[in-house]
Amino acid sequence: MLELRDIDFEVEGKRILRKITMKFEEGKKYSILGMNGAGKSTIAYVIMGLEGYKPTAGRIYLNGEDITDLPVSERAKRGITLLWQEPARFRGLTVKDYLTLGGKLNLKKDEIAQILELVGLSPLLYMNRTVDEGLSGGERKRIELASVLLLEPRYAILDEPDSGIDIMSLDMIKNVIDWISDHGGTPILITHREEVALETDESYLICSGIILKRGKSKDLVEYYRTTCDKCDHINLPVEKVERK
Amino acid sequence: MMDYSKEFEMIVKAYEKSGGNVSNLLRKDIASIIINGDRVIGLNSVQGVELKPQKIENGVSVDMRIKGSIKNPIHICTGYVGKRGYQKVIFNITVEKNSSVSFISHCSFPWSEDFTHDAEMYVHIEPGGKMEYRDEHFHSESGKINFISKVKAVIEKGGYFADFFRLTKTRVGKMDLFMEISLGEEAVGHLDATVRASKDDNVSIKEILNLDGKGSRGIAKTTAVALDKARVTVINEAYGNAEGTKGHVVCEEITKGEGVIVNASPILEVRNERSELTHEASIGRVNQKQLETLMAKGLSEEEATNLIIKGIVG
Repeated sequence: MLELRDIDFEVEGKRILRKITMKFEEGKKYSILGMNGAGKSTIAYVIMGLEGYKPTAGRIYLNGEDITDLPVSERAKRGITLLWQEPARFRGLTVKDYLTLGGKLNLKKDEIAQILELVGLSPLLYMNRTVDEGLSGGERKRIELASVLLLEPRYAILDEPDSGIDIMSLDMIKNVIDWISDHGGTPILITHREEVALETDESYLICSGIILKRGKSKDLVEYYRTTCDKCDHINLPVEKVERK
Repeated sequence: MMDYSKEFEMIVKAYEKSGGNVSNLLRKDIASIIINGDRVIGLNSVQGVELKPQKIENGVSVDMRIKGSIKNPIHICTGYVGKRGYQKVIFNITVEKNSSVSFISHCSFPWSEDFTHDAEMYVHIEPGGKMEYRDEHFHSESGKINFISKVKAVIEKGGYFADFFRLTKTRVGKMDLFMEISLGEEAVGHLDATVRASKDDNVSIKEILNLDGKGSRGIAKTTAVALDKARVTVINEAYGNAEGTKGHVVCEEITKGEGVIVNASPILEVRNERSELTHEASIGRVNQKQLETLMAKGLSEEEATNLIIKGIVG
């Protein structure tokens, strides 16, 4: 189980996250739902341990092990990975090099081809392309999804997996979530879209850096749909949201 | 003196080390020159390619004249199989009006310890002519090679010239690379150098664009990776001397190692109010987001850095 206990995160005295406590059990699908600017991506970066995202307070545990102070690569070695909302570009690296991490992952050509097809890319057309500015945002995102799948992670944090990909591809996102789950992983989706959250079992609803609600995705989505769209909480300081 | 077949065998081995395809040096339909030390040990010409080599002090000078559209790239293999010495190589290349040609050059000195390779290339591209020169270097790991290279090209109206220099597979030693092009009306030029310097390598690169003719365009680009205690100095200059000219100067230097010293100086000078010059320069460690993207897949910082650098230098 991946667990966040009472996570606070501040930047230059400004509170971004407050008392975030979350539990992600293996075998389930999760979403972290909220409007833009709610702090969802920050939670993802804190879990992954990116530079500049060390919690001000609170701890992160993976199966009882405190991983709060571990570097990114150590968390990844324990099975946690992250799909960035806008993945980085890499000059000169081919898709094949990127997906195999320069040959470190011993993957057969067929395995790579199968995953590329799953994310809607032709292996023939993409295997030797470079992961640089020549790719559209959607193509880059699909390659990043493929990269995450090939790692077979235990916890895959997918930050807005559908952004940059056309709405018709929601089925593809569903297939990706199912694939992770079928291969023993726990998908954690960061999203502001109800239809994406509905593909998961349980959700956390975030607003201005705090957890407003947690529960079954279906129930939370209903609350989100009827309440959040009309609400003025967006980007208010945490304290003001708490008072409301 | 070394037996010819032995000499040929060694130079071919050196050529292969630098990534060259030996079969291309033996094909009758591909023009080629093979130089070892101060001698031309292989020469093949095709229709439209005139090659006139001559011996000079400590080296070789080759006059090349291109007429028509040359289908296959001309292959040049320059090497030195000894450990110590000095080699001077001069190429004088003329691309006639509306002619086109490309070159693939491999310079290989895999066994040299105390050696200077001094190369000069003078290019004249007549109106409408096109030339592309790809130059790959492969040096020994001794770090004691002294490499001096000077390229000067004049490109006349509507002509095109591109020079791609790469030294990324081995240590550099000491390197002084100078490339200068003067572009006539509507001519286009592209200078591009990529270098990976390590240990105590010392690299100096200077690329100059003279945008002399109306509507001429050019780019001068340098990519350098500096590791360990390497020193890299890059000065890229562009001079907009005529109306409608456009020049762009790019310098990207990536550092890894506490002892590296790198600097980049773009110099832009507009001498005509209708000239546009731009530049980009960046120096520093590899991009943090790229690094963390790979580390989030389980690579260590070292492994991630190496993979990013591999992509950049090829």
